[in-house]
Amino acid sequence: MPENNSQSNCRPDSCVQNNSASRACTPYLPTRAILSKITEMAYDNFLFEFEQIDPIFRSCLPGQFVEIWIPGAGESPISVCSGSVGETLQLLIRKAGRVTKALFNLKPGDWVGLRGPYGHGFPVDLYKGKNVCMIAGGLGVAPLRSVWQYLIEHRRDYGRLTLIYGMKHSDEILFADELIALRHSQKLELFLAAEDVTVCHIANLEIEAGRVTDLLDLAELSTDMQVAICGPPVMYRFAVERLRRLGIADENIWLSLERHMKCGIGKCGHCYIGGKFACQEGPVFQLTELANMHEVIEYPREKIQI
Amino acid sequence: MSVSSEKNVQKSFTLPKSDFDQFFTLLAQMGTVYAAVKVSEQSFAFRAVTSAKQIAFDAIRTILPPKKFFYPPSETLITYDKDGIYENEPELEFKVIFGVHPCDLAGLGIMDKIFSSGHADSHYMRQREASFVIGHSCMPDKHCFCQSMGSDCAKSGYDIFLTDIDSDYFIEALTPAGDQFIALAQPILAGATDKDHERNHHFWETRSAAFTNGFNSSNLKVTMEGEWDNKLWDELGERCLSCGSCTPVCPTCYCFDLVDIASLNNDSGSRKREWDSCQFTGFAKVNGDFNFRPTPVDRLKFWYRHKLHGFDDAYADKTCVGCGRCTVSCPSGIDDIVAVVKALQVSSAAKTSEGADA
Ligand SMILES: Cc1cc2nc3c(=O)[nH]c(=O)nc-3n(C[C@H](O)[C@H](O)[C@H](O)COP(=O)(O)OP(=O)(O)OC[C@H]3O[C@@H](n4cnc5c(N)ncnc54)[C@H](O)[C@@H]3O)c2cc1C
Ligand code: SF4
Ligand code: SF4
Ligand code: FES
Repeated sequence: MPENNSQSNCRPDSCVQNNSASRACTPYLPTRAILSKITEMAYDNFLFEFEQIDPIFRSCLPGQFVEIWIPGAGESPISVCSGSVGETLQLLIRKAGRVTKALFNLKPGDWVGLRGPYGHGFPVDLYKGKNVCMIAGGLGVAPLRSVWQYLIEHRRDYGRLTLIYGMKHSDEILFADELIALRHSQKLELFLAAEDVTVCHIANLEIEAGRVTDLLDLAELSTDMQVAICGPPVMYRFAVERLRRLGIADENIWLSLERHMKCGIGKCGHCYIGGKFACQEGPVFQLTELANMHEVIEYPREKIQI
Repeated sequence: MSVSSEKNVQKSFTLPKSDFDQFFTLLAQMGTVYAAVKVSEQSFAFRAVTSAKQIAFDAIRTILPPKKFFYPPSETLITYDKDGIYENEPELEFKVIFGVHPCDLAGLGIMDKIFSSGHADSHYMRQREASFVIGHSCMPDKHCFCQSMGSDCAKSGYDIFLTDIDSDYFIEALTPAGDQFIALAQPILAGATDKDHERNHHFWETRSAAFTNGFNSSNLKVTMEGEWDNKLWDELGERCLSCGSCTPVCPTCYCFDLVDIASLNNDSGSRKREWDSCQFTGFAKVNGDFNFRPTPVDRLKFWYRHKLHGFDDAYADKTCVGCGRCTVSCPSGIDDIVAVVKALQVSSAAKTSEGADA
């Protein structure tokens, strides 16, 4: 018989679902949530809203993720995309494969399973009193939306806020209405770029032709800024190089890394990155943490000559 | 070193081998007894046994390590229907696992740490709790190198441990369940005498001297760190078939996948946990065609690192226990851990002496 040093994370309500409140239940047991609304954003990206969620999801912090389960199809890790979670949970999901496609076959009223929230998100407490720059590439805007919404909900606690958002094609812009409102509110400075710009179908949103890295120069970042980044792996090395050139220290740069995640709780081994569980110690890492880690392709090892 | 050296005298007993049948009867009263049996000319496997005669007492490593009893290759964790989601109760059959060697006991200790920490895996823990584990001494063959990994003497993972001292067994209890069993078996046991302790000691000394395979592991972590870019990995990777034979046989490989099995009309079904292998191509692949370990070289190095350096998991140390299973099961002959370590150490030492010369 083994030594037992477990501290069960089992929540009474999910055990009730199983009529066995008396003992620890499996940590892979999701709780049910009802799909309430689907909003098309752009191409294969939709905003899904869920109701009757387990109260545990109210504790979601910016940059954390949940495991969403479509019965019969499987589970996928998806970032929390709102600054706080109340009665509904919002997830921005791109149609990718088996699980995410199955989600697109559901209609409001259908149920899914949810587990989480998991992982360490962006350090919004550490950002207090500081200037914060958020850099999003493509779908990376989803987790960063949780950051900007959170910072704006607590606007007085933070200094200058900058959002830089790049995409391949201007038609792929996500959360356009919210971005227009943000630009008007002047609560944060907004910079948008697309590698391909067609005449913007969304009024009042100027999208520069170019990449995220081009915007970094335009945005006139100050060297004391805290930087939160999320995007495709290739984006990181260019963004980090540019940030270093602008004089921003590695310890002020925070990256959200995507890895294959199955369990979300440090058991299945899929998300290992240089020997650390991305699902537990990440997905958000401070750039300095990555310096000595193997297998981090997002970390540019060579130092920049200024 | 002896298993008994750290233990207190009252906990040691002897059993004449001639009385083993009675001992077996007592074991069988607790639950189904599983023990190593010979399944082919050269291989052994844990199987349910009903009599002591079936047991291969001198078995070398079994094909699969005993992790399979608590962490089966495929296990239903969850079921669902249109009304709800339910935890699938593990099938709890009390298991008495007889004859687990020190390397495998160390392996169980590592699995216990992983599955009991943080978000504890209740399926593993409950099956583990419904078990009684009897450790057994063994003699190394040419592939065993548990001595180098420090797992040659059992320190945990068992309830009682039997050392073969010729005509008798020298028996020690480790856990309260072990003590209880000893109390039950009292009529057929004798308290160990000084002479018995000496015989036990002698066995372990003889065994320590019998290892022919191994390396000095004091600098293993540093070596793994420093030789990350050694070209040996490329040579090994070129020969690796990514077949994943090395991971299920390893007592400390714990990676898994979670998969859905839907009923035909998809209104009910189940979710299973299945053994996975980090050697498979898609193990670290994410959407957008990014694979963080695209080649066999990347994957092999990753696996070796887990075994010889360790990750920041709940165990946080090297996880190879030196059982030699991967070495004998790799069809390409590249999991000769001892040979790999020695080659890396030579390269590492060469660098150090170059450094000293400069
Ligand atoms: C922390 C984190 C946050 C994420 N947030 C979002 C988000 O907010 N919105 C969004 O649309 N997507 C997000 N993703 C990506 C999303 O999880 C994958 O696109 C999804 O799991 C693909 O699953 P699938 O079954 O639809 O595709 P599959 O048919 O399984 O495969 C499509 C591709 O996705 C990869 N993949 C499969 N399973 C996983 C997995 N568990 N983790 C990562 N990659 C996987 C496959 O290797 C393959 O390359 C996030 C991923 C992580 C790790
Ligand atoms: S790595 Fe090989 S020798 Fe080491 S414990 Fe695993 S199977 Fe045994
Ligand atoms: S058993 Fe050998 S060939 Fe197969 S994946 Fe492991 S190292 Fe590669
Ligand atoms: S997702 Fe399973 S260990 Fe991180």
